[in-house]
Amino acid sequence: MNLALAELSRLLARRFVQLMAVLLIAAFGVTVATTVASTHKPTAAELQRAEQEVRVAEIQLEPLRQNCEQRSPNLSFCDAYAQQKPRIEDYLYGVFIFSDEILDLVYFMIAFLALFAFLIAASFVGAELTSGGMTNLLLWRPQRITVLGTKLATVLAAVLALSIVASVLYIGAFYALAEIGGLPGDLDGEFWSDLVLTVLRGLGLVLFAAAIGFGAATLGRHTAAALGLIATYAIVWEIGARIVFQVTEASRPERYMLSSYIGAWMAGRASFYDQFACTNGFGSLCSREYELTWIHAAAVFAITLAAIVGGAFATFRHRDLA
Amino acid sequence: MTSTVWFWHMTAVIHIEGLRKTFRTMRGGARVALNGFDMTVEAGQIHGFLGPNGSGKTTTLRTLLGLVRADDGRMSILGHPAPDALPAVAPRLGAIVESPQFFGNFTGRRTLRLLARAGGVPAERVEAVLTQVGLRDRGNERVKAYSLGMKQRLAVASALLKQPELLILDEPANGLDPAGIREMRDLMRELSTAGITVLVSSHILAEIELICDHVTIISRGQRVATGPVAAVLSGFDKGEYRVRVADLDRAAGVLTTAGLPVTRKEDHLVVADVGDAAWIAEQLGQRGMWVSELTPLTPDLESVFLQLTNSAPEPVPTRQVDEAIQPGTIDLGVQP
Ligand SMILES: Nc1ncnc2c1ncn2[C@@H]1O[C@H](COP(=O)(O)OP(=O)(O)OP(=O)(O)O)[C@@H](O)[C@H]1O
Ligand SMILES: [Mg+2]
Repeated sequence: MNLALAELSRLLARRFVQLMAVLLIAAFGVTVATTVASTHKPTAAELQRAEQEVRVAEIQLEPLRQNCEQRSPNLSFCDAYAQQKPRIEDYLYGVFIFSDEILDLVYFMIAFLALFAFLIAASFVGAELTSGGMTNLLLWRPQRITVLGTKLATVLAAVLALSIVASVLYIGAFYALAEIGGLPGDLDGEFWSDLVLTVLRGLGLVLFAAAIGFGAATLGRHTAAALGLIATYAIVWEIGARIVFQVTEASRPERYMLSSYIGAWMAGRASFYDQFACTNGFGSLCSREYELTWIHAAAVFAITLAAIVGGAFATFRHRDLA
Repeated sequence: MTSTVWFWHMTAVIHIEGLRKTFRTMRGGARVALNGFDMTVEAGQIHGFLGPNGSGKTTTLRTLLGLVRADDGRMSILGHPAPDALPAVAPRLGAIVESPQFFGNFTGRRTLRLLARAGGVPAERVEAVLTQVGLRDRGNERVKAYSLGMKQRLAVASALLKQPELLILDEPANGLDPAGIREMRDLMRELSTAGITVLVSSHILAEIELICDHVTIISRGQRVATGPVAAVLSGFDKGEYRVRVADLDRAAGVLTTAGLPVTRKEDHLVVADVGDAAWIAEQLGQRGMWVSELTPLTPDLESVFLQLTNSAPEPVPTRQVDEAIQPGTIDLGVQP
């Protein structure tokens, strides 16, 4: 515990961490500011006009729905008609509607937090390995796994705490903005549970990024090793291998890409279209679509973590330290 | 490494036997740093650890402290096998290894507080050690802004924090000013009087000679001498005397006839195998030569060190700078 507290003060005192935190706040600030600049409280006239348009839309929908019910109730577009409920929010322009836009904004926030977590965690261990700070600590506490484990746990806990605070503030800011200068929209139970679930998944992703950054920097003994790993992965695999898969007409290339799993993890599921499937003539029985779910994603994340973080701990145990 | 095997080393605070370490580089290169090195440090000693640059001192200490894995050999520290039992003995051990790095953004005081906290040491110790190393009034400055010597003092302070029984200091005088070196000397003496065993590596041989009671000399990864300082020195005492008289040639003749090895120097003679100095004075006096100086040439640690490390198993390729520059061989292209 004492070791963890000591690590925490080292983490918070790092210039790089402070700089990254400022950048993070700045990025969020810019997002909020641009939203502020592009929204306004709808005027009475605008609301009236929107209500009018909703009524018009309802009137237009009605015969279509009836037509469906009478003739072909199980067609998919009929379902869509049945579910479609024109809302006032759909006919207001330049108005920030919390319920419609917050999910995309949360994705953006998670992306930023994940990047932040990755860099912080990588530099936290990388800088100490290069500067000899780790050596010092090990002279003091000659238990390598404990020391490295405490470091990882500290950075994960710090990143998690910061992400929770950031999420609450971020979502809170947009909610307040909607109340003051926009519209909250339909905030039913389903909406909130969806939002909370998305944020929780996002936090998972942020922790994953931190652990990978930490592990890669430990394996490579340098912060730059983590950056190199990501850059290499992105260029060689996500871009290079994708092209190769395209050329060789490999089936379902997306399932080899970490990015697909990140998407599946965040959205719960992700569908992909396999352009090389169903080329053998049994068209109607064959589905070109396939799906990756968050469970697949969790498995892939677990394997990646085991390889990189597990590998980092295994090698750190016996390595010569300068 | 069972405890029975180690039983006879229980009195030794540090015992190292047949330590080997070869560093391998990524490109497949290999550098032998330790080649069967042995060392024993007994309780209560101030033990000097000497050797030329790259001879393996730091590697030995790193290996002992578990930072580097040995290829072969056995080590014990405070009666426990190292590095396996290091976690158990760590609270009794203070160490600095080659200019330690501290986190620059913290003040000296905070650095020590954090270490104290991480190691379960009472916070009062921080003030005590800061005073002990002379940093009390600069403790609130960032380590980044410390001078080399101040960083070194901070390192020593961190090693003292636990009130260790054994102190391992790798070049503690590195970067210290003359006053600092003297303070370090007094500090080590003080600690030794308090019963602490000190192992100290240094290149300042006069310093080692002043404070250490025992030395181990390493060269090219092997021990070339060990024992009490006096014993190591006396092994090199050839009973030489410096003799100064007016007529050097005649005196040399007399002493050579008497069977003593004599070396003629510029303005004096060096006579070896002298049993009784009075005998020389008498012999020369009887022939009307009056001795103006008759001084025993006792070897100092420096001369012994230089001799020993040049007579190492595989001679160190040293002095390249001097070898390269022969007087008269450099053509500077200047026309007279
Ligand atoms: N991490 C390393 N990788 C490769 N070689 C190393 C490493 N550390 C030390 N060596 C080599 O091992 C040998 C012993 O080095 P060591 O640092 O132990 O010497 P030293 O006696 O402490 O020298 P100095 O008096 O200069 O501090 C040297 O030849 C050095 O180049
Ligand atoms: Mg050294």
